[in-house]
Amino acid sequence: MQENRKKESSSRSLSFLKGSIPYIAAVASLFFIWQFVALFLEDFLLPDVPEGVGRFFENFQDPEYISAVTSSLYRLAWGYPLACLLGAVLGLLAGVSKSFSIYLRSVISILQAIPPITWVPFFVILFGFGDLPIILVITVASFFPMALSVLNATEGVSQTHLELARVMGATKVDLIRKVYGPETLPSFLSGAQVAFGNAWRSLIASEMVGGVSLGLGWSISYAGEIADMDGVLASIMTIGIIAIILDYAVIGGIKRKLLKWRYAGKGTA
Amino acid sequence: MQKIELHHVSKTFGDLTVLQDLSISIEKGEFVAIVGPSGCGKSTALRMMAGLESATSGEVTANGNLITKPHPSRMMMFQEHALYPWRTIQKNVSLGLELQSVPKQEADSRVKAALLKVGLKGFEDYYPHQLSGGMRQRAAIARSLVTEPEVLLLDEPYGALDAMTRLTMQKELLRIWEETKQTMILITHDMEEAAYLADRIYVLSHRPAQVLKELTVNVPRPRPRNHPQLAELKKEMMEALQLN
Repeated sequence: MQENRKKESSSRSLSFLKGSIPYIAAVASLFFIWQFVALFLEDFLLPDVPEGVGRFFENFQDPEYISAVTSSLYRLAWGYPLACLLGAVLGLLAGVSKSFSIYLRSVISILQAIPPITWVPFFVILFGFGDLPIILVITVASFFPMALSVLNATEGVSQTHLELARVMGATKVDLIRKVYGPETLPSFLSGAQVAFGNAWRSLIASEMVGGVSLGLGWSISYAGEIADMDGVLASIMTIGIIAIILDYAVIGGIKRKLLKWRYAGKGTA
Repeated sequence: MQKIELHHVSKTFGDLTVLQDLSISIEKGEFVAIVGPSGCGKSTALRMMAGLESATSGEVTANGNLITKPHPSRMMMFQEHALYPWRTIQKNVSLGLELQSVPKQEADSRVKAALLKVGLKGFEDYYPHQLSGGMRQRAAIARSLVTEPEVLLLDEPYGALDAMTRLTMQKELLRIWEETKQTMILITHDMEEAAYLADRIYVLSHRPAQVLKELTVNVPRPRPRNHPQLAELKKEMMEALQLN
């Protein structure tokens, strides 16, 4: 019994290792390309990998850099949840009302055609420099994946699932809690994941052009202006790593927890 | 138990007349099969008995009372097994009890008994996608039994199963019916299935559905599948539907 369990746990860690090989290879190949190119270029044009990585860690001892990171995260922490909430509410309403759904889809297709950072000057003129324009850009850029995802899911709820619950005596509230809710949950979460990508990209982009003097996007564009390649590379790493942590570890973790049934193994019976 | 009746029922969807002046009567505890070509409106008739659809004219009654909305005493089994993928087998089966606010302890023991009855003991914590088609259908039967409905409405429940599993499930269904003596109404286009299972068979016409023939099956159960009278019944059904 104990032997078995040991075997099981060692085979599990082995398969975990096997499963993570592609991820490790992905990171390693990027570093490899960087290092390979760096061999042929001057150090100020492209430093070696250890230098860039060293700068990445040094950055986190610099209080100015840390406050750049926290102020970016602060804007994200307002804009992104706001976008998710707005998207979810609009998506749900459109899922229930046919004409509102047509209206919302048209609004979204117009907004989708406009790159989010083009709203930066618009909001800066309205609200002045600061956090607010950037937060609003994040919201505009990331509410619609959420709205579309929730809208499609609400429209797509299985009629049979609804009727079955009705036959068993479900009230309207029961239907929302026990059928609509769980059936649309996966789309809420995948909508939130796509929205996060949009939010993060538009955050960094609007910080680069938005006239704020603090934030990750500003740090990288400042490093670019003074031709500080170490700083540029270190900031790129910071931006990528924060996004991966938030997307995979945080949102992905919530997803795996809430959608346990989707990850249950197949074919055991 | 309930007696289910359709009195001169008509149903139109826009310009489409699905049922016209259809009258059917099913006695308490009777097993009736309704056979008809696909799209003839037989499912609509069944959905009316479930209270999911209302008649344009005419009356649908249970024990003489008009059926206007679904009631847990009339359970329906759908073409697909229609289990909720996010619920375990245990939770799928217990949903009906949950909706009727049956105390958890009682619900648990009733679910356990129902799963035992259909041979799914030990699969409580599995999700539907982890089970085979036949097992999912068993779970759907357990769900229909657990609330102890008086009427079971079966809308081609075995249409999606392979031939062998279907035969097994037909036997299961009979075994359960003999225990519970519920009123059973089965929609099917499988004439052998109808003859093997039912006490009485209604053969419906193309849309708008009308009763072409009413057949009584007098073969005592358990019925041998190759009983000559069942073959004779199948022939009569085919003749009524002008299929030979």
